[in-house]
Amino acid sequence: MAKLKRDLTMEEQLSRGPVDLPFLMLVVILTVIGAVTVFSASYPTALYEERSATYYFVRQAVFAGVGLGVMYLASKVNYQVYRALSVVVLGVAILLLVAVLIPGIHTDRADGVRRWIKLPIAGTFQPSEAAKLGVILYFSARMSKRNSEKHKPFNRRSFLGRALSWLDKVGILEMVPYLAILLVIIVLMKFEPHMSGTILILIPAAAILFAGGIPLWMVGVGGVGAAGLLVLMMTGYQADRIDIWRDPWAHPRDGGWQIIQSLYAIASGGLFGVGFGQSRQKQLFLPEAENDFIFSVWCEEMGLVGAIVVLALFALLIIRGYWIALHARDRFGSLVVVGIITLMAAQVFLNISVVTNLLPTTGVSLPFFSYGGTALVIELAEMGIVLGVSRQVRAAK
Amino acid sequence: MREQDRRREERERSRPEQAPNNKANRTVLIRTLVLMALFGVIVFLPLLRQLWSIQITHHEEYQQKAINQQTMDSAVAPDRGKIVSADGEILAMSATVYNVILSPHDFKTLQESWDKKFLDDNGQPKTSRKDYYPRPEADQIAQGLSTILNIDAAKTEERIGKTSSYYEVLSQRVERETADKVNQFILDNHLSNSVYCMPTSKRYYPKGSLAAQVIGWVNPNVDNTGAYGMEALYEEQLAGKTGRVVTAKDGKNRELKYSFQDYYDATDGNDVNITINTTIQYYCERILEKGIETFEVQDGGFVIAMDPKTGAIKAWANSPDYDLNQPWTVSDPVLSEYLTTVENDPAAAEDAYDTALKQMLNRQWRNKAMNDSYEPGSTFKTVVLAAALEEGVVSESDHFYCPGYYQVGEYTIECSQKAPGHKDQDLAKAVANSCNPAFMMIGQRLGAEKFYQYVKDFGFLEKTGVDMQGEGKSIFWSRSQFIAPSTQQNSYLATASFGQRFQVTPIQLITAASAVINGGHLMQPYVMESITDPEGNVVEKTEPTEVRQVISEETSERCRKILEGVVDGGTGKRAYVPGYRIGGKTGSSETVKEETDDPIINKGKDYTIVSFLGFAPADDPQIVVLLAYNAPKPAVPGSNVTSQDYYISGGNMAASMAGELLENILDYMGVERQYTEEEKAAIDMTVPNLVGQSAQVGVEAAQNAGFTVRTVGEGDKVTAQIPVGGAMIPNGSQIVLYLDAEKPDEPVKVPSLRGKSLEQAREALAKLDLYLKVGGSDRYLSSGATVATQSVSAGTMVEPGTVIDCTFSDNSMVRT
Repeated sequence: MAKLKRDLTMEEQLSRGPVDLPFLMLVVILTVIGAVTVFSASYPTALYEERSATYYFVRQAVFAGVGLGVMYLASKVNYQVYRALSVVVLGVAILLLVAVLIPGIHTDRADGVRRWIKLPIAGTFQPSEAAKLGVILYFSARMSKRNSEKHKPFNRRSFLGRALSWLDKVGILEMVPYLAILLVIIVLMKFEPHMSGTILILIPAAAILFAGGIPLWMVGVGGVGAAGLLVLMMTGYQADRIDIWRDPWAHPRDGGWQIIQSLYAIASGGLFGVGFGQSRQKQLFLPEAENDFIFSVWCEEMGLVGAIVVLALFALLIIRGYWIALHARDRFGSLVVVGIITLMAAQVFLNISVVTNLLPTTGVSLPFFSYGGTALVIELAEMGIVLGVSRQVRAAK
Repeated sequence: MREQDRRREERERSRPEQAPNNKANRTVLIRTLVLMALFGVIVFLPLLRQLWSIQITHHEEYQQKAINQQTMDSAVAPDRGKIVSADGEILAMSATVYNVILSPHDFKTLQESWDKKFLDDNGQPKTSRKDYYPRPEADQIAQGLSTILNIDAAKTEERIGKTSSYYEVLSQRVERETADKVNQFILDNHLSNSVYCMPTSKRYYPKGSLAAQVIGWVNPNVDNTGAYGMEALYEEQLAGKTGRVVTAKDGKNRELKYSFQDYYDATDGNDVNITINTTIQYYCERILEKGIETFEVQDGGFVIAMDPKTGAIKAWANSPDYDLNQPWTVSDPVLSEYLTTVENDPAAAEDAYDTALKQMLNRQWRNKAMNDSYEPGSTFKTVVLAAALEEGVVSESDHFYCPGYYQVGEYTIECSQKAPGHKDQDLAKAVANSCNPAFMMIGQRLGAEKFYQYVKDFGFLEKTGVDMQGEGKSIFWSRSQFIAPSTQQNSYLATASFGQRFQVTPIQLITAASAVINGGHLMQPYVMESITDPEGNVVEKTEPTEVRQVISEETSERCRKILEGVVDGGTGKRAYVPGYRIGGKTGSSETVKEETDDPIINKGKDYTIVSFLGFAPADDPQIVVLLAYNAPKPAVPGSNVTSQDYYISGGNMAASMAGELLENILDYMGVERQYTEEEKAAIDMTVPNLVGQSAQVGVEAAQNAGFTVRTVGEGDKVTAQIPVGGAMIPNGSQIVLYLDAEKPDEPVKVPSLRGKSLEQAREALAKLDLYLKVGGSDRYLSSGATVATQSVSAGTMVEPGTVIDCTFSDNSMVRT
């Protein structure tokens, strides 16, 4: 027997508000376009692997359906529960990050990379996905309490106490838990290794800290630190990638192949594209045409016009996402949405930068498009959280 | 105040979070807006710029590269045009054959996909599957293909093992039947993509070695382009245009069916119709071969037959020759003997055989009657004669005295007829004798300048422009050298007057000689008659081209008459053919340049080129031939005769061959024989069958047929005759008719005729009612000719009326 509205608590009533329709529509449109693109991009691979042409598409469509369902459910959850849950999510995520390193749990790959946990039905699952969510929720929860935190009463007589007291005052002390968590995650993921995943955890984390109001000088220090780290990586063992990025044609066999094929695909599209389903580059020229390089296939088939349409949909989704953050009922909701939207925006940017050779190759998939069941479900679940926040946005007067 | 401050501070310290929230909220708001601007707008700008750059700016460039890798370009070979002789025989044609290609890489892929499909998790084959077939294995495939293609199985297996390769040619140019077998094998063993037959074309030469150097061949190692001869010269016309089929392929190099395809049609090559007549060519090659065998010729030779009026080359034979279908095989006996020597020489260097093979191949491929120059010898006198007559410096009534030598400045130059020489002779006789002193005198009368001018006008200083590859150049003195007033110059002029100490190409000589006899027109020789497209429309046609008129019609006519005298009793008498008026000029050049580096023969003193330039009919020349044999082998070094007792000279050797050749050609061309009274007497006639006729009718018929008649018996009816009807006996011979009388059937004994003259032999036989037939090629019976051989040997008993075939030889030597 359903409760009557008056029986609901205030909280419950709030969480029954209407979802943000523009955001929902954008998510659905992108998911549908993504699934259809998977069909077009994946059938040559499927046929080559002697599978049914619709093998990848059917799987992706099923996951999209499940994902949309999960999104709906997630939107129904009163997001306030994530405040408490965030610690659990983060804890579990870290445990999974440890677990994935254990032989027998991760998938066996020739290259020895340990990013995926074997799952019975869904296939595989990346613990880094859980870590992203964990970090976003936990950071948001912690940042939203920031203003109510009292300065710790340190013993001002001891030197340590005075130092701590000073650190507390300038705000460094409050950063310690964040940095510690990130450090643990970075170290664990280094073992996988999974650099792109690490970046995708760092960016939303940084966005939450930034939006949460940490002092600007810290933002500056963080920015400089990140830049320094990047330069360090470029000069180190990643230097090859930089070479390839600068001139893929100089390395047609040892690494440049993918990006060359991607550029051929995108360029072949021209302004209006070769027509849906007509991509020739997906005919086993473009590796991972249904995955990281799916946008190249889209560009080839739909041209610059099609590319702009998808980018515009993403841009609208992102802007609407931040709009929800701005209108969220409380700081926590606001920060969670900032985190999730920033994460998605970063993925979009990194993926398209890679396929257009704007940035060196990193394995970042394109949200809603790239083939991958669990990733899609998690993405949609995250969108569900955003929608959940949108339910509690106060109606315009 | 202090109190107030303290309180306020306290209040601030314990201020609930609401109070500074406004500021913090503002911070969050602003920073979220910053993020919105950054991630919602700004990051998209470089992406858009990049996309624009790729899709618009670099669109064409990258798309082209993409298309290059996405398409397979397969060539569609056009049919190469035919080469057709003047009498409509196909000399060269193309047919489709197949190259069998193996892709070891794809074979490996094939095996891998088999494994994927038919192996279960334990690595056991799923034999129960409906579509199961045994796994293709390298050894068994190699075995099967090797059996079909007749290649080495072990090597094939080794090639299948080269898995990084996509293209291994297993066999080239196999016939359709074999290709069909291969295709069936591919089907049976599920090998598609890894083994396939590629159509290509193969050139066939139905006439084998006929006119090999003129036709040339197609080299499959150089993209099927023509090598040598017509094949090379008219490559563009013959080849046609290669078509293309562009098909889409995927990243694994597999053709994408039902995807886009573009066809660019192949244009078949045009046919080249040449002036060579296969029958005349065959006669020329046969006579060349015959002469080489008869005279033990060591360095081959050539025969050119040309239409003197147009310059169309009717035949062009070279020896050594080769089979166009197997250009890399040396079949000439002289060349292969040399190769065997090199091969078996234990002292030879390692690559000696290869070097020798290359030399021999080059030797058989080249058209020496055009690529190389030679010393023309006395054949050149035709040109000198024409020039002198045209200039009016000599006339038929002029006399020349030959003491056997001629003094030019300090040089004494001997005549071929050594002292006392030819003595007194008129112009015609001097030419018939091929007298060198007479021609030195003629040369002097002409003078160096005029002489040089005629050499030039007759085309000896330029290429003839014949449409063949690699026409050689002559070697002649420069004008300033030749006309310089010095003793040396005199000797240049003197030797040039009888065709020595300079070199011309055979094609130049025959072209100039044609001008001498055809009314003075120097024609440009040609081989290509016309080019027709595959539908038969004429694309190009060669019209006879006159380069210039060198001498007048009248001079030409005088030359013909004088040159006819060469064959009619002169040095060229062995070229005589009853009924045909043949003119010509013999030639022997005894010294060529001292080339000691030739692998086969020392081109030193014993290297003689014997040649004959002939034309017929003398009053209206329709064919001109030039024959040459290089280096008949003397019996012993320095000797003038071969081991078969042939005197080494153009008159003795080349002329007799030319006679037979011209007879063949003229018969073939349907030129009617016109016998002189004298010839009519010697001609063989068919004896009519008169048995059963009345006496009077029989006698009249026999007399009308040109025989004399002797009757035996007194009856009214012819009951028997000698010889029997249908026998061939010389005109004017006596026929015996038996009128109601018995024909004696006692055999008679054949007498020995050796050494008897024609008259003596005929008489000796007539006494016995036997008949004489003049046989052999040498039909000119000089007064000195005696019976050399007889068809029925002396002492044999034969029936009366038997015809005895005798060959005659003239032991008087023909020196030039």
